[in-house]
Amino acid sequence: MMKQLTINETLCKGCNLCTIICPYRIFQIGTTPNRRGIYIPKLYKPGRCTNCRLQDLYGRQLCGTCALICPDQAISWETVSQYKKPEIMIEY
Amino acid sequence: MKAQVKEDWFRKDRLPHIFCVGCGNGTIINCVVDAVFHLDLDIDKTVFLSGIGCSSRAPGYMASDSLHTTHGRALAFATGVKLGRPEFDVIVYTGDGDLAAIGGNHFIHACRRNIDMTVVCMNNQIYGMTGGQGSPCTPIGKLSTTTPYGAQETPFDLCELAVGAGANYVARWTSYHVKELRNAVITGIETPGLSFIEVLCQCPTSFGNKNKIGEGVEHASYLRKNAMLLQKARRMEEEGKKIPPETFIVGEYVKRSRPVMGGKT
Ligand SMILES: Cc1ncc(C[n+]2csc(CCOP(=O)(O)OP(=O)(O)O)c2C)c(N)n1
Ligand code: SF4
Ligand code: SF4
Repeated sequence: MMKQLTINETLCKGCNLCTIICPYRIFQIGTTPNRRGIYIPKLYKPGRCTNCRLQDLYGRQLCGTCALICPDQAISWETVSQYKKPEIMIEY
Repeated sequence: MKAQVKEDWFRKDRLPHIFCVGCGNGTIINCVVDAVFHLDLDIDKTVFLSGIGCSSRAPGYMASDSLHTTHGRALAFATGVKLGRPEFDVIVYTGDGDLAAIGGNHFIHACRRNIDMTVVCMNNQIYGMTGGQGSPCTPIGKLSTTTPYGAQETPFDLCELAVGAGANYVARWTSYHVKELRNAVITGIETPGLSFIEVLCQCPTSFGNKNKIGEGVEHASYLRKNAMLLQKARRMEEEGKKIPPETFIVGEYVKRSRPVMGGKT
């Protein structure tokens, strides 16, 4: 069980506000339109997200500024069952 | 009913909402929802109200009871709700035009009576819904459809107005300062009496593009860049320094305990 950062493609309007707020710069401006013609931001190494890594350990929401600023409530953390090895474990 | 997850506060069947791409109103809704979720308010004992405007569409996306009232009268309706059912938590979403222009008198008197509710003003400095006319909060020199040569009138400082009229808690943040805004809403809901939280937000469609600020991202960065903490502004005033134009003073203006009307106990 672990958390995974996701953008809901039916809610996102492609405003890119998430790209300016994430301290890790995980959200990158999208380059290809989806079927609705919206440029959904790309996630660059989302394993670095503090909330993905530590939410279960701390038992509460951490950081979460992207989900707060997203005007369309498109960003959330899904619980995924299979264990995927995080790309980066420790950040200095 | 208590919310299990934050999403329970939204009417998911109504999403995505009507706000334009990059509009700050959605961000403010998130912050308010995060605050009420944090405080674990009862969905059945919370009422959201609003007047008319883009910002005033917000209660329509809330799972609790809501009232979308006539232009400018949200605070009058909210007064009725609170005095009728004092055990309810009353939160008002309003716009700068809604609150300061047509609803100006209701605002002053709601502050004077210090009715126990939380007022979140989404100040986009313009009448967004009707196509970008100037509002009482349009800064001097800014373009709108009714001020094609730049606004000439001095705008309202809504926070100072609320302090002067007697509100118990007054703060101003922007739609970029999401954490601070969320915490201000939490403090506002917890403080008995009228809590007024002004949020400067972007309206890329009617304000940002017309004034060459840009779309949502540029406008949010502009809000961030031009924000100045209240403490710093006060210090600069004391030192006799001039606060640069286009500065948005952010922070907590007042937190006090004047007598309250319609309180919970
Ligand atoms: C009595 C009345 N007068 C005028 C209007 C037209 N009207 C609708 S929305 C609006 C302005 C709303 O501006 P604001 O409160 O700033 O909200 P925003 O759309 O900017 O979020 C006006 C003047 C109305 N609906 N009712
Ligand atoms: S802030 Fe939300 S709506 Fe805007 S681009 Fe990011 S995920 Fe999409
Ligand atoms: S017109 Fe302005 S305030 Fe209204 S939804 Fe669009 S961006 Fe937001």
